[in-house]
Amino acid sequence: MGEERRQFEEIFLPFLDAAYNLARWIVQHDQDAQDIVQEAYLRAFKGFHGFRGGNGRAWLLTIVRNTAYSWIHKHAPDEKLVPYEEEKHAEIISFDQSAREITTEKRKEYLENALVRLPTEYREVIVLYELEGLSYKELALALDIPVGTVMSRLSRGRRRLQQEFTQIRNAEAVNGL
Amino acid sequence: MDCEEVRQLLDPYVDGELDLTRQLAIEAHLAECNSCREAAQRITSCSRFIRVNLPVYRAPPGLKSKVRTTLANEDKPKFRWFREHGRRLAYAAALLLLSCALAWTWLTLSPSKDKELIAEAVSNHSRSLMVSHLVDCASGDQHAIKQWFDGKVDYSPPVADLTQAGYTLVGGRIDILEQRPVAAIVYQHGKNLLNLFVWPATSRKIDMDVRSERGYHFCAWNLAGLNFFCISEISAADLEKFEDELREKINL
Ligand SMILES: [Zn+2]
Repeated sequence: MGEERRQFEEIFLPFLDAAYNLARWIVQHDQDAQDIVQEAYLRAFKGFHGFRGGNGRAWLLTIVRNTAYSWIHKHAPDEKLVPYEEEKHAEIISFDQSAREITTEKRKEYLENALVRLPTEYREVIVLYELEGLSYKELALALDIPVGTVMSRLSRGRRRLQQEFTQIRNAEAVNGL
Repeated sequence: MDCEEVRQLLDPYVDGELDLTRQLAIEAHLAECNSCREAAQRITSCSRFIRVNLPVYRAPPGLKSKVRTTLANEDKPKFRWFREHGRRLAYAAALLLLSCALAWTWLTLSPSKDKELIAEAVSNHSRSLMVSHLVDCASGDQHAIKQWFDGKVDYSPPVADLTQAGYTLVGGRIDILEQRPVAAIVYQHGKNLLNLFVWPATSRKIDMDVRSERGYHFCAWNLAGLNFFCISEISAADLEKFEDELREKINL
């Protein structure tokens, strides 16, 4: 095996789960996400000489994210990627309040559905920050937006997620009656 | 800082992403202001709630080895190798052809050939969905695609325009099925893509009702001396409709 490939695999194969998770959340389809991950690793390997050390996870996830977008562009050009209008700072209500008295399974299920309902811009920022632990600065690089936008998008995303969660939970509560 | 300014910065404050000056200013405000302090606590618990409850997908088994294979293929110094081993390659190709011919004979006699065909079609289809493998000739024009196939396969696959029925032409490419090059015509239905393989039914006629495997639906039929094999993620009903529409168009 080439020395370069050995090094590349050593650094980046440990992030396979993270790469798949991100792709899976963006396109919401297992086989598509797998194809995107393969393509992204190939792109990353071809651009390996451009990797200057540092956070390999953030570097790889940036490539996964861009690959997922070109995939969407190619295979589902109808998918709307138009950002929501950034509304004025909405008040965050408590998750705990709306999540009280429901089982952990239901909580997870509602939260997953709530995130799926969000536009891709918010979905990816939440997955990358809350699940993959990228910093604001890494997010700004990965998403190619200013740090200030990362700030408002994440903050807005959390509120929207909570609103969707509460809506789903309330709808279920009504149906359950 | 007043409450409004503080609220704008509460998320990055909770996330520990503020510069020291603003961090301290907010701390000072929170020490005095109950409602902002509660707002900060709500953000903290919101973030924790997401981290605890949001499902994390793990890479399915097999993905790692697929990635490694992709990388290994890329890593091969192919062009240099071709130049240096051109002649040997020609012999190898001849041998390969011979073994393909043998395999072909064996396969046409084998009872499991439908299974083989399905496996090949499934793999062709999923490979085609990868970013760079969908079509070699991208066009929504039936005549352009038909012309493109001319000379690339030794038969003339019918290319029908089914836009009216909701199946849009995406293009065409050459793929391999049952050890022979076949015409692959790609349609799009909603967000899903559909691969239609067409080849002469000289060795055997294929006929299968709609079935499913690995999340794909497929069906096959023969018409006018050609085999048609269609595979997609669309529903069984949509696939049946596609077959009906196509048959009708071809019969015209
Ligand atoms: Zn205040």
